[in-house]
Amino acid sequence: MTAQTPATAVKLPRQTRGKRPHFFDDPALDQMMTFLLELTTEVSVMRERLDTVERLLERDGKVTRETIEAYIPDADIEKVRAAWRDAYVKRVFRMHPAG
Amino acid sequence: MSAQPIVDIETLYRPTHDERARQQFVSTLRKHAIVDMRADLKRDWESRVEPALQARGEAPADWRGIERAMEAEPSFRFYSSVRYNVQEMTFLSVQEPVERALDGMIDVAREAAKRNPAGGSLRLTPNFEVPRYVSSLDIHLIPGSFHSEYTQDDVAQGAVVAFGSKVFGGQHPFRKKAGAVAESVGHWLHLKYPDFKPRRILDLGTCSGKNLFPYAEVFPGAELYGIDAGAPLLRFGHAQAEAAGLPVHFSQQNAESLDFPDGHFDLIVSSFFFHEIPLKSTHKILRECHRLLARGGMMVQMELPNEAAVSAYENFFWNWDTGNNAEPFYTTFRSQDPIALSTAAGFAAEQSFAHLIPDWVTFGEERYRRFVKGELPAPAHGSGGWFVFGARKT
Repeated sequence: MTAQTPATAVKLPRQTRGKRPHFFDDPALDQMMTFLLELTTEVSVMRERLDTVERLLERDGKVTRETIEAYIPDADIEKVRAAWRDAYVKRVFRMHPAG
Repeated sequence: MSAQPIVDIETLYRPTHDERARQQFVSTLRKHAIVDMRADLKRDWESRVEPALQARGEAPADWRGIERAMEAEPSFRFYSSVRYNVQEMTFLSVQEPVERALDGMIDVAREAAKRNPAGGSLRLTPNFEVPRYVSSLDIHLIPGSFHSEYTQDDVAQGAVVAFGSKVFGGQHPFRKKAGAVAESVGHWLHLKYPDFKPRRILDLGTCSGKNLFPYAEVFPGAELYGIDAGAPLLRFGHAQAEAAGLPVHFSQQNAESLDFPDGHFDLIVSSFFFHEIPLKSTHKILRECHRLLARGGMMVQMELPNEAAVSAYENFFWNWDTGNNAEPFYTTFRSQDPIALSTAAGFAAEQSFAHLIPDWVTFGEERYRRFVKGELPAPAHGSGGWFVFGARKT
């Protein structure tokens, strides 16, 4: 891409340059960790969407894609969600006792 | 007739419901890695790995020994893997909404640069030679680093860094607030040197000015200057400043050789800057600081604590980023004595300092006053305190 690329057509690079370090003896495990972390993230995204749907149904008795998209939680609801995410991460990434 | 104000460039960035949820989760994951898993790692070292080595008479002599001992431990492998992945995910989580908003954000930045309604300025250098230590790698695993431009008058990397930083620090106990370093340094200076009234303040490697803007409040009337190598960051920051009514002068310059006259500044600051550049450049830049400061002027550089200031274990922890976060100069910078760096640049040893200061927002004003009086210690760097080094020019 150059200065001639229109701003609406810019696609930013998704990959960093340089060699990616690996932390496990088998690099496949490093790749597996990426799959796992991305999947864990998507579960949280779906959970949040479900929470939005539930709250909209409670409030309005109906839900549309537009109302989901427009929904911004207030500070109290965001606090509840943050606590859920925190507990969720701690549950999923429970480490075995060392030894 | 009053001119139309500049639109807040951040309002153009509109992540979808799910993108927001993803960013929120990445913030949580980042906090889990840097707070909870970090604590688990330390516990594993202290309660199991270190005693086992001691029992065999093989206690490591320094941080490199700790690193060698920990490298194969599951606690270290998982900690490292989560930290690395979450760093990648941080920037991935903002790139798509930045792309959608890019056209509009560029228009706002152009308008700000044309009109400067707040009285600031943006000075870019055509064909600017970006230092190789910025251009040759993706610092902090930001694809495109700080300088890449993908279209005319591009602000994309400025937006990626700004919004990525919000994800990065979103759940961190001491990094939630943008500009926390500048607020802390500013208030510390104000309390410690009540007569110090800088007329001009310069921020080195300012990015988009996040740790420059708060000085406007602490030192009303001071002229603010920010320099950086990355044009997209400067354009983005300038648009933000003009929208906020802050007259800030941004320019694209190499900090090793600045075009300001001698003695032009009373305060020169930086944050998270020197550990990203080669030592040779650090020496040159600190000499520039000495040249640019007026008599009685101060430089205050917020940095990582140097190697000698913390334990071997802390050094092992901090130096992780060197090879794993595309920050190749990190370990070398940390191995230097900050006082010696200042004296080598021409500052007097007795006017030089290197120590922790508390974080302004989380420490609270009352306790801050007691810290300045020497009655309370500052928390550790990154855990409620910030490490600073610098000097006063006499």
